[in-house]
Amino acid sequence: MGTNDQSLSRPNFFSQLRLLAAVAHKDWLVYWRYPLNATSSVLQPIVWLVPIYFMGLAFSINGKAVGFAGYSGTTNYISFALIGMVLGSFIDAVFWGMGFSLKEDMNTGVLEANWLAPASRLLIMTGRTFTSLTITTITSLLTLFISGSLFGFSIIGNLGLAILTVLPMLVGLYGFGFAFAALVLVLRDANTMVDVSNFLVQTFSGTSYPVTALPRYLLPFALALPLTYGFDAVRHLLLGTRTLLPLPLEIGLMLTFMLIMIVFGIWIFRRLEYRVRMKGTLGTH
Amino acid sequence: MATNIDILSPANRAGRPSLVSELRAFGGVVRKEWIIFRRYPSWIIAMFVWPVIFPAVYIFTARALAGPNGAGMAIFNQTAGTTDYLGYIAIGTIVWMWQNVVLWNVGFALREEQLRGTLETNWLSPTWRYSFLLGSSVTQLVTMCVFLTVSALEFWLFFGVRYNGNLGLVLLVILAAIPSIYGLGIAFASLVVTAKEAHTFVFLIRGMIMIFCGITYPLSVMPGWMQGVSRWLPQTYVIAAMRQAALGGASLTELLPDLVILLAFGVAWLVIGYLLFSVMERRARQTGAIGQY
Repeated sequence: MGTNDQSLSRPNFFSQLRLLAAVAHKDWLVYWRYPLNATSSVLQPIVWLVPIYFMGLAFSINGKAVGFAGYSGTTNYISFALIGMVLGSFIDAVFWGMGFSLKEDMNTGVLEANWLAPASRLLIMTGRTFTSLTITTITSLLTLFISGSLFGFSIIGNLGLAILTVLPMLVGLYGFGFAFAALVLVLRDANTMVDVSNFLVQTFSGTSYPVTALPRYLLPFALALPLTYGFDAVRHLLLGTRTLLPLPLEIGLMLTFMLIMIVFGIWIFRRLEYRVRMKGTLGTH
Repeated sequence: MATNIDILSPANRAGRPSLVSELRAFGGVVRKEWIIFRRYPSWIIAMFVWPVIFPAVYIFTARALAGPNGAGMAIFNQTAGTTDYLGYIAIGTIVWMWQNVVLWNVGFALREEQLRGTLETNWLSPTWRYSFLLGSSVTQLVTMCVFLTVSALEFWLFFGVRYNGNLGLVLLVILAAIPSIYGLGIAFASLVVTAKEAHTFVFLIRGMIMIFCGITYPLSVMPGWMQGVSRWLPQTYVIAAMRQAALGGASLTELLPDLVILLAFGVAWLVIGYLLFSVMERRARQTGAIGQY
């Protein structure tokens, strides 16, 4: 017979690792089970990009957006927008994927059962983060490949450094996702809130334009979002665009954002999780 | 105490509906849809927030493309024939939002009934079944009239869009657009009841409108084959006519070709919608699939 060390009621380091792998594997299987949705997640961003692309053409001569260079420092408008699209897909994944992950469990009736298991709920969320990051990376790279082939994509900078810069931003974003998932669990009918929040964050962080082009009264909202500096730094590293702040400062901001968001996300998650357990609303829709 | 009701009178016999009873049933559907609409306050966001934030992305993008000293504006003027990119984008996106909402609301009206478990019950009543779909379209039309008005005001207020056209002609374009926009929604509703989970089809249709109808750019920047496709989509004509009427100060004579095409599309879509509905209804009765999820 096995020893008590293997019992689920006494979780150890290895059982937690197995849990992490099992959650990640489960989400992976569920995602690919619906191939039409997977195809849609690759093609949808392209559909949103097409009007931006043709609009860019309407303002360009020989593919060079001369007016755009005045704000950004590059005439390579479509690459600018494509980078925004790839990074924006992670924001989508956090708002819709991570945000609704617990609500989905609630809808499918497995949330209470899962939470009865002697497993760290934060670890369950971390497992989901791994899959979400992996899947979003795969789908956004596919989207980039297709749209790059259709519209053209070129970079002049250091890809490795850009990836290193983007990592703390993504970790911070997913830290926020922990808090957001718990909030959706409390609010339940949160589609409109998620839709509007996602749209506003993407609008103000400048997914398809430099935020300096915003009207003056809206610029403070953009500058208050840490993601704005992440987008800005990555574009500078890949396209040589002008930055809002000196690059080391923007990278420092990303690292601070990451740390704050991890602490904030875990704190909010724990508080809201405690609240739904106390109120007994885990199983109520 | 009781009023005398002649149960043998044709108007009061449920099994033999008269025109009056059909109208009452139709009114009942409209009222029911209206109550459901008001019940969920998220309509406030749909009505007041989306008209501002959806076009905002394209407007700010266009602003960036124009450049701080308007260097890109001259190029846009050459391709689009106007420097008023604000109005240009506002009208394109509003037509897209209109069709998008119709696809979700009218397109999923029967599906919602199916999910709530009331579709079979309703269809057992001796009412013309097309009323259920038309009733939801009428309620939706009323809310969309408010939506269009709110959007126009918000564009003026927040983005500084200035209308120098004729309001009467704008209303005429909207009237001419209604049959094709709602006809598409009605046709789609029948498909949704058959196909069940059809969100991807909505993404497909609204994606086509977004790509081919020139919501944010002149059609001339697209390749020839794409311009060919755009000519078969009524929304292309709605956007073009609306821009001319609201921004370009076009006369009725100038708008007439687009209006005639729109009405032709409208008749075609309403006929297609009715035929698809009849086929779906017959098929559902034969297979008993109407209550299946």
